[in-house]
Amino acid sequence: MSTGEEQSGDDAGEQAIEPTEAKVAELQSLLGDHVLDTEEHLNAPGIVIRPDAVQAVLSTLKEEAGYDHCSCVTAQQYPDRYESIYHLKKYADPTDEVSVVVPTARDDPTSESGAPVYETASWHEREAYDLVGIDYDDHPDLRRILLPDTWQGHPLREDYDQDRPQIVTLRENANPLLEDHRGSEEEGESDTMFLNIGPHHPATHGVLHLETVLDGEQVLDVDPDIGYLHRCEEQMCQQGTYRHQIMPYPDRWDYISAGLLNEWAYARTAEDLADIEVPEYAQVIRTMGAELCRIASHMLAMGTFALDINGDFTATFMWAIRERERAQSVLEELTGQRLMFNYFRLGGVAWDLPSPREDFFELTRDFLDGLPEATREFHDLLTNNEIMQLRTIDTGVIDPETAKDFGCTGPVARASGIDYDLRRDDPYGYYDELEWDVVTEDGCDNYSRLLVRMREVEQSAKIIDQCIDLLEDWPEDEREIQSNVPRTLKPERDTEIYRAVEGAKGELGIYIRADGTDKPGRFKIRSPCFSNLQSLPAMAEGEYIPDLVAALGSLDIVLGEVDR
Amino acid sequence: MSAGFGPLLAAVTLLQSNGATMLPEWLADVLRLDGLGVAGTAIAALIGAFVIANVLLINAALAGPWAKRKIAAAFWGKLGPNRMGPGGTLIIVADALRMLSKELIVPEGADRPAWDIAPIIVAGSAMLGFAVIPFGKIGGVQVQLADPEIGLVLVFAIASVTSVGLVMGGYASKNKYSMLGSLRAVAQNIAYEIPLIVSAGSVVIFAGTLQLSGIVDAQTETLVSVGGFGIPAWYAFVNPFAFILFLTANLAEVGRNPFDIPEAPTEIVAGYQTEYSSVYFVLIYLGEFLHIFLGGALAAVVFLGGGAGPVLPGPVWLIVKMWAFFLFTQWARQTFPRVRIDQLIEIGWKGLLVLAFANLILTAVLVGFLEGDVEFAFASLQVITA
Repeated sequence: MSTGEEQSGDDAGEQAIEPTEAKVAELQSLLGDHVLDTEEHLNAPGIVIRPDAVQAVLSTLKEEAGYDHCSCVTAQQYPDRYESIYHLKKYADPTDEVSVVVPTARDDPTSESGAPVYETASWHEREAYDLVGIDYDDHPDLRRILLPDTWQGHPLREDYDQDRPQIVTLRENANPLLEDHRGSEEEGESDTMFLNIGPHHPATHGVLHLETVLDGEQVLDVDPDIGYLHRCEEQMCQQGTYRHQIMPYPDRWDYISAGLLNEWAYARTAEDLADIEVPEYAQVIRTMGAELCRIASHMLAMGTFALDINGDFTATFMWAIRERERAQSVLEELTGQRLMFNYFRLGGVAWDLPSPREDFFELTRDFLDGLPEATREFHDLLTNNEIMQLRTIDTGVIDPETAKDFGCTGPVARASGIDYDLRRDDPYGYYDELEWDVVTEDGCDNYSRLLVRMREVEQSAKIIDQCIDLLEDWPEDEREIQSNVPRTLKPERDTEIYRAVEGAKGELGIYIRADGTDKPGRFKIRSPCFSNLQSLPAMAEGEYIPDLVAALGSLDIVLGEVDR
Repeated sequence: MSAGFGPLLAAVTLLQSNGATMLPEWLADVLRLDGLGVAGTAIAALIGAFVIANVLLINAALAGPWAKRKIAAAFWGKLGPNRMGPGGTLIIVADALRMLSKELIVPEGADRPAWDIAPIIVAGSAMLGFAVIPFGKIGGVQVQLADPEIGLVLVFAIASVTSVGLVMGGYASKNKYSMLGSLRAVAQNIAYEIPLIVSAGSVVIFAGTLQLSGIVDAQTETLVSVGGFGIPAWYAFVNPFAFILFLTANLAEVGRNPFDIPEAPTEIVAGYQTEYSSVYFVLIYLGEFLHIFLGGALAAVVFLGGGAGPVLPGPVWLIVKMWAFFLFTQWARQTFPRVRIDQLIEIGWKGLLVLAFANLILTAVLVGFLEGDVEFAFASLQVITA
């Protein structure tokens, strides 16, 4: 928009993966006079459009240009305007990105909603409305999403008064104990029952609240109510310096032992933003650590899913925890921490493998050697169990098109037959040098999601094994764990970047806009759980309560990442 | 006066034995209560009931806080409680204190008398069932409180009274989860009570009596002799199919995995017992364990020869068999996923019920032919063809 951005765009063009002029020209011809201006983001060209043309532009891009993945919607405030950015990608090729930038006036931030085009935009726009205060016309259900309905003001606005107490009398809050017959056709008497599942319920995996309307045992309508674990992670990151102060936060998003995967999301984004090289040796260590985290995370996902189906702390859960524990002791050796690793640094990792290295390799190999036996046990207990199959096959079905519409990624998407894995499709780290496969299943049901996770564990073990081989043979004088990174990073003003990595739950993306200081001007997290959870109603409506619980378990959400 | 004595007299007539001295009779004899007449017999019966109830309470206390944890720990590859007392057994005391010292929270809007009575019904009905269970003989004394001719029917009837308690508790709690749980309990009970009784009915055809002691006595013969060891004619060996049906239906009857649907912790929190705390929770918990033991005792009496077994006296063997059933429920708990409520109804009505009736009729035909009662056999065949 501004001239400053144009200049930074030129600088950034050198860092961008490919020259994008041809693409911009193509998009311009496709969109015609909807395009007001173009911008250059580090990851993609930005197309500036009018706020009343959002649906027209998005549907053209989706239908005709094939951008079927609305990864994220970022909203932010500039001194002179508000801006919503739709980060679009293709499931077939996530490196082919485009950012649709929608500026709105400062005094009346109203923009057309993209929700009718991409289902996933619905929640993202609710969040933008909640935190930044942009109104979306034609939005199906524009309510607050993270903050309580009674909240005053929009916290990411500049004029937001943090010190003003948010006093809400009890009377203003909806009384959850009142008679409620939501979902019924006629007023008053009806056969449906409204049920609050959560925020304290054994199956919600944290503090999630499902507003459910039941007809007997059948789920007529379910509406996830999130935000109970909102810790202002984005704002906290905006107050930290790039170099050191942000890295500990990602550990706390998906805190179920997926820490290194999250750290990588920030590391990748910030390294691309500040043009930092990472030594190959560090990349191998990162790859190994990340896959260990993935195994630990998938083990817990499997265990809790079994817990949801079995209904008690049963052998499967405890055995899964045991395997996760082994992965964690390896990670503890590597990073010195069990959960909040804080091991990645911009430009590398914090320190080299623990010495003596042989012991570490042996520990890791022992863990890998035990995995096939453990996997066999889980197949005996879970996937080959007839009751388990009876319970999970053809329940919680989400077809690929719906899954794409909801922006599902990770094991949830891959279990619906969507062959999408950023480790392969948008390579980073050392993944493209290694031999491994992307696991997909075509069942689209709870069972497939379980199978995908179990098979991904095997693939991760394969990756770790290769990394160990590489690390063992790495020449001693080439073990560079960090490149030379300036003490203070000040990326150029108005440089914008959106980068994602394949987290344990799916595509974990981060958008950063630099404001010329050593802290980000806007830091936006694209949480895979957030988008995956949004698809729960599509999976669970019309099913029985037990299948709703199973579908929720199969999504493998972590509320810390959903609410941030 | 006569109205007051009516039930007592009825109770006395229940104390019919078939030869051996019954426990209350023996107690009356030993304690010289004969002189008191009917009242003496009643007092002796009460003492006997007190003894048996305490034996069961000790078993439940062992099973609930201690054995359940130990068994679960063994499945998980862990140790279980091992710090409190020998083998961790003092955890029973700790747990009892913990439970009893908790606040009894009464939900707002609870349907008071019903809400209070429900836990008592749950625990009481399970305990009542043991009144007719023959624990076997010890020194010529039949350890059994009462042995009515319709013992088997009576014990099934008593066991199903538990459902009334569950529905009362679930409905009176004024909690939606409790309500769902109690509705599930009813649906499940209806679906499983019939196959349970019908599969036990096939045993009645063999034994020719509904009297529990008679059923036990009918299993004392030797079925076949293998290398000097006689395999007794327990109905589990005579009719294993009925035994498996009975065990499956029994798991559902006592509400254990994979049929713990009325509780279903991950779905409906704790079902009918969601709102119960403190003493009431203990009562419900106790009722559940007693119910498992009652299920085990029934399986032992009907299919596993009651108190029959080498060396040790009868009551010990019956308790061993009860514990074997308890172990079975815990094993199922650790391994089986829970079936969904609609699947459970389907298994009950379409699967078990049909199989149970097929088993019953085939048994009737076989028994008819074996005993030369051709008329009976043909009558049974006619039922099949019809």
